[in-house]
Amino acid sequence: MVSILRDLRYILIENRMGLIGFAIIMFFTLIAIFADIIAPYNPYELVGPPYTPPNERFILGTNDIGQDIFSEFIYGSRISLYVGFTAPILSSIIGTILGIIAGYLGGYIDELVVGAVDVMLALPSLPLIIILAAYLGPSLNNIILVLAIFGWPGFARMVRSQVLSLRERAYVEAARATGAGSFRIMFRHILPHVVPLVIANIVLSATSAILTEAGLSFLGLGDPIAKSWGQILRRAQVGHALHQGLWLWVFTPGLAIALLGTGFTLLGVAIEEKVNPRLKHSRR
Amino acid sequence: MLRYFLLSRAIRMLAVFFIIIILNFILPRAMPGNPASILANEYNLPPETVKILVSLWKLDRPLHEQFVAYIESLFTGQWGYSYKYYPRTVYELVMERLPWTLLLQGVTSITVPAFGMLMGILAGWRRGTKYDVAVTISAIIVYAIPYYWLALMFQYVFGYQLRIFPIAHALTPGASYSNFLEYVADVLWHLTLPVLVVTLTAYASYTLVTRNSMVDILEEDFMFVARAKGLPERTLMKHALRNALLPPLTMLAIRLGHIVGGAVITETVFSYPGVGYLIYESIMFKDYPVLNAAFFMLSITVIVANFAADLLYAVVDPRIRYVRRG
Repeated sequence: MVSILRDLRYILIENRMGLIGFAIIMFFTLIAIFADIIAPYNPYELVGPPYTPPNERFILGTNDIGQDIFSEFIYGSRISLYVGFTAPILSSIIGTILGIIAGYLGGYIDELVVGAVDVMLALPSLPLIIILAAYLGPSLNNIILVLAIFGWPGFARMVRSQVLSLRERAYVEAARATGAGSFRIMFRHILPHVVPLVIANIVLSATSAILTEAGLSFLGLGDPIAKSWGQILRRAQVGHALHQGLWLWVFTPGLAIALLGTGFTLLGVAIEEKVNPRLKHSRR
Repeated sequence: MLRYFLLSRAIRMLAVFFIIIILNFILPRAMPGNPASILANEYNLPPETVKILVSLWKLDRPLHEQFVAYIESLFTGQWGYSYKYYPRTVYELVMERLPWTLLLQGVTSITVPAFGMLMGILAGWRRGTKYDVAVTISAIIVYAIPYYWLALMFQYVFGYQLRIFPIAHALTPGASYSNFLEYVADVLWHLTLPVLVVTLTAYASYTLVTRNSMVDILEEDFMFVARAKGLPERTLMKHALRNALLPPLTMLAIRLGHIVGGAVITETVFSYPGVGYLIYESIMFKDYPVLNAAFFMLSITVIVANFAADLLYAVVDPRIRYVRRG
């Protein structure tokens, strides 16, 4: 318990990268939580004339059908954070369970999981994600599902290689000697030791999940009902916003995607530096 | 050991290939309607034509016969007709778009790794300095920038405001060229913004990988010995580079596999007439035959490139062969 607190202290306070990353994520989390209070309008409501340039009433102007872009932007943080957390967590659950089972039990189960991981990692993920999203139809949960399908192999491979060394440790042997079953050893004794690295990788893969969701929405494969930052960019592109000089309409959501993505990467790198023993020595 | 390694990789490649072929067969058949009825609806084809198409594509046959026919057609380039550009064939469309994609991707496959690796080498060599920190942090930020967003902002600044670069297409529409040089100039002029944007956003992963690999190598014992022997900096750099460039070079080999289908979003945002833009159009129009063909083609190139990257690695780095992956 004390060591966890010490790690947290290092990650969030002493490591400047972790602190900045955490601050950025908190900033957008607060915006997402208090969206109802911050946003001046309902983002779905037609509140002004279409293509209004930014003014006192509409800070970022209105879109091609007269919705307030600033309100859309505020609510958009919810979608990005939702995807950024759920997709990697879903991948990590599948990947961790399979990785532990494969690494601990070995044998043909291991061969099977390693084979599946190798095959998945060799598939062309982005075009496949685009095509699967096109076939499955536009919905936020479909996007998360597709992201998880392509996300779990990375987790499985990482967890498995950790388990290979953990299962030889004395404490595991002691547990086995006292008659603990495989299931108990895997999930009571080994799991807690891989969790820190898994968390680091959840945070690190949030960035690519957010970028992929935004990219799919920008291509028109996103959920048309969910107001995401990628969706705002799509409307701006389809509605020729730049042609009319409405550059803030494009600038703001893209900047937010980049900022939030940077936040997750910074925090992820800080956590990884703390929990991955290999990295500790290679940095000076 | 090398034989075992090659065999396991070859088996994996075949497995991936098999999965892609199956997916490619199932996905379009899981969609409502079949190619013949969709074409009939879209273009008001007479029932006789539909009948001919149905028997031509064996859509009235049982699934296993369809599967055999499908395998045959895949390898003979008979990928059917585009829904959107009917009566043009998918094969024609893909071949027409391919050169533009190869051009754009070919150029960025040089600029991106070159720029990225250079930054990474310098940062790793001067690890721990302010320069290293600046390069690493900026690469982390750049990694999170959506490139279509940077593309849009560049279009706004260089296209709409300064008016020095075109924001769309690969050639000036309706232009006629008096000589070949003029044509080349027009092509390059349209290529500038896409290449610039891709380079400025995609270099980051090369930088981070090269930098970390460089730092790892510089910590190795043999580097310590080399330094202790008093070898000049140039020679040390050469020793380090030989080892440190392996990971980024593998990344490059894998990137080459994504050349064909690669830049869907880049080409879309610049309306660049390559295969990526064709894929986008097919998604918008639900042009499934084109989507399928494109998916098949780019999967094959990705698989082959991954295999090549594995081979390259096994040949260049003998350590790989003896370690089973895990």
